[in-house]
Amino acid sequence: MVSTTAEKSSASAGPQQNKAIEEKIQQFRELFADAPEIGKKALENALHELRSQTSDLPPPVESAGRVGARLGKVSELTIIVPLAPGGAKRLRAFLRLLRGNLSQGADKVGTLHTMRFVFFDNDTRLLFATAYDGDWDTYIDDFIAKIPDYLDIIDSAWDGWPGIRSPGAKDYLVKHQITAEGWYVAYPDLTVAEIKRLQRIGKAVDEFLDKVG
Amino acid sequence: MSMLRESTGGNSSTQAPALELQEIQATVLRLRPAPYFGSHVALHVDDAQAGRELLRRLTPHVDSAANWWRPASAWLSVAISYAGLEALGLPHNSLQSFPEAFRVGMAARSQELGDEGVNDPKNWEPLFAKGQIHIALNAFSDSEEKWRRVVAIAREQCEGLAGISVSAVQDFGAQPGDLNSLGYRDGIDQPAIEGSGVEPLPGQGQPIKAGEFILGYPGEAGVLLPVPQPDIFGRNGTYVGFRKYQSRVGAFNRFLRANGSTEAERELVAAKLVGRWRSGAPLTLAPDVDNPALGADPQRNNDFNYANDPHGRQIPFGSHIRRMNPRDTQLTRLTDVNIHRLIRRGTTYGKPYDANALSEADDQVPRGAIFLFISAKAMTTMEFLQQEWINDGDFIGANGERDPIIGRQEEGATFTIPKEPVRRRLRGIETFNVLRGGEYFFMPSISALNWLANLSG
Amino acid sequence: MATQSATASRPNLDAIKQKIQNLRQAYADAPEVGRIGLERMIAELEAAAGGGQQRAESAGRTGLRQGKVSELTSIVEFAPGGAKRLRALLTVLGGNFQGADKVGTLHDMRFVFIDNDTRLLFATTYDGDWDTYIDDFSTKIPDALDVLFSNMVGYPKKGMHDPAIKDWIANHQLTADAWYVASPNLTVPEARRLEKLGKAVDELLDKIE
Repeated sequence: MVSTTAEKSSASAGPQQNKAIEEKIQQFRELFADAPEIGKKALENALHELRSQTSDLPPPVESAGRVGARLGKVSELTIIVPLAPGGAKRLRAFLRLLRGNLSQGADKVGTLHTMRFVFFDNDTRLLFATAYDGDWDTYIDDFIAKIPDYLDIIDSAWDGWPGIRSPGAKDYLVKHQITAEGWYVAYPDLTVAEIKRLQRIGKAVDEFLDKVG
Repeated sequence: MSMLRESTGGNSSTQAPALELQEIQATVLRLRPAPYFGSHVALHVDDAQAGRELLRRLTPHVDSAANWWRPASAWLSVAISYAGLEALGLPHNSLQSFPEAFRVGMAARSQELGDEGVNDPKNWEPLFAKGQIHIALNAFSDSEEKWRRVVAIAREQCEGLAGISVSAVQDFGAQPGDLNSLGYRDGIDQPAIEGSGVEPLPGQGQPIKAGEFILGYPGEAGVLLPVPQPDIFGRNGTYVGFRKYQSRVGAFNRFLRANGSTEAERELVAAKLVGRWRSGAPLTLAPDVDNPALGADPQRNNDFNYANDPHGRQIPFGSHIRRMNPRDTQLTRLTDVNIHRLIRRGTTYGKPYDANALSEADDQVPRGAIFLFISAKAMTTMEFLQQEWINDGDFIGANGERDPIIGRQEEGATFTIPKEPVRRRLRGIETFNVLRGGEYFFMPSISALNWLANLSG
Repeated sequence: MATQSATASRPNLDAIKQKIQNLRQAYADAPEVGRIGLERMIAELEAAAGGGQQRAESAGRTGLRQGKVSELTSIVEFAPGGAKRLRALLTVLGGNFQGADKVGTLHDMRFVFIDNDTRLLFATTYDGDWDTYIDDFSTKIPDALDVLFSNMVGYPKKGMHDPAIKDWIANHQLTADAWYVASPNLTVPEARRLEKLGKAVDELLDKIE
């Protein structure tokens, strides 16, 4: 769920903005009326803070394209799939072979910040979650172009996976992806490439300062 | 929009509970005297009954913290490791109520403590092998005569008890000027403890809830920290950590010489590493030259904060004292400094510091620091400090660097001194204090010692 | 936390060949795309398996870690009304938790409502070990965390101040089977430092050009 225009921040909170916040806070109180005691108490403590901070609302989360949330340049992809019969076993064997490390494939894509595979619900389902740069379609196209076979090895464990080269592949992914309703990134302006560039600059600056200092 | 309103201290608005000083062992609150003398004695218990008999004999001589602020000449304290508690026959339920880190002992926590490479337990002195030290006696005194008397008394109690053996005796202190093995006055900064009975010294900051340091009282979060069971055994007790370091004086002096061509330059480097001149005067209050009178004055030598030093140009971010107590430094991570403090009762042992020692042989001369630290969660705190504030620097803006005094340095390590116009980065800093062994202990209250001594079975 | 030595020992070639064989067998009953994909990748997989690359380590009691960067992944049931309350909270915040900047250890954090709003997936990327700063959260930001997580089933009565809180957190955590980080030694403070540095260098270059 992505925020609407009505909730986008303005630089300073006018009286209209404050009124909207007050309304929300009232809604909040009502919603928390049936919350556990610990939550209600904490809410009261926190509301004071909420009010005093309305003048610096951060930029709201945006869409990563077809599906998923994005903050600045960094997007989230969260997919939950049912595993095919025997899929958990196969996938585990594959991940064990790589000793839980996927850099071989992931480094090739170049826009991937993080990626995790998590089995749950007694190995009947798999969570596949990443943080990546930019737009969803471009990202998936990148995967398909650069590491199609990795995808087929991994995704063949997924129930109903049509194959990465199938026209139904993207639809399958969209079908199983859930957009995050809360998405935070510490450095939303830094892409993977930009980080590498800055790391090189950092080294160069250190060498320069060592000479000059 | 932030919901992160920070609390400025403990949540409880209740009165601080009165500390049962007559139950708490003296060394928890009593400051290290100046000059100081003393001994650490390590005992091994082969027979539970003999061990408990020893406690029966010793406990009347163990000093409590009653009136701890009054001058006292000598005092004795007793602490017991998990292996020692087992050897003394503490019941199973009681043993299981201790935290895991304490139960497995310091050697087994090497990963959490970052005790690897040169500090790896496999390189430790045999005395500190897992489960070896059972009971640690500690005698402190301000005079040689009284110290010897206290040690004699302790020795007397061990007499005739087959089933107890003395594994080691380490005398300490009696250093010229009370300087440590790298030539500094140390042990200056201590946490102020709420309800302890005295006003904080200038610079100690707001008193911290007693429960952070003594079991059975509320901590900073307003709740009790976990207390070992039964209550009579855990209450008013605390945990003591012991880490013995060998000081590589030759390497330290070589480093000073490599980075300073005059004595003044070297002393400034020495001051920047620690944050204090060797006299103890903090750089904040004496930025250009040492001020020995200031360094020796407990009313002045700790009376500062970092409000006027946001770039670390007086006291570098990575300096030892700024790491061990960041005070009001703006840290990169949300941290409550007050829950990571330790009471320190460190002592120096061995030969005094020698400014002319330069060789590798000098690195091996037995001398160094026994770092003794006390807290109601000493294991958790030390493991946090080792991971976050000692063997890492990201928390305070000393990225990629480690504590220059007790950090375990890797190849190519650096120490950065922020400076205008360009920072000075010292290369080739080595591990100056090498860990030779350590252990976690429980320091029971007086009643707890009696309870333990009188267990049957 | 001190990490294990970075260079893992290179498993010998025979062991790798055996593992690949086992993998082939495991994939014998895979859908066709999987089997074909595997055959295409054999050479590269052999290289990857023998490459001595850094194994993912443990982030402490639970979770995986690469270098300095760890993953925390939890799936928890909502308490009655909890999904509604959490969604309302996230709406007010615009879905963004800029306040988390202060925490300083979080690289990213997501809240995903799954299984028809009956469960929450909470996943973060963060520096260090799983419990290093929990006590600090308890004294500094207990209210924010209580407001968020009191919406979950079984949240301890005293919230962040409950002695059971660490167990509750750990018990709901799933440990990943694979964890990839593009820059495993880049902590949040280091990323911020590089960001600042990049800006300063750009300004300098602007001035002198």
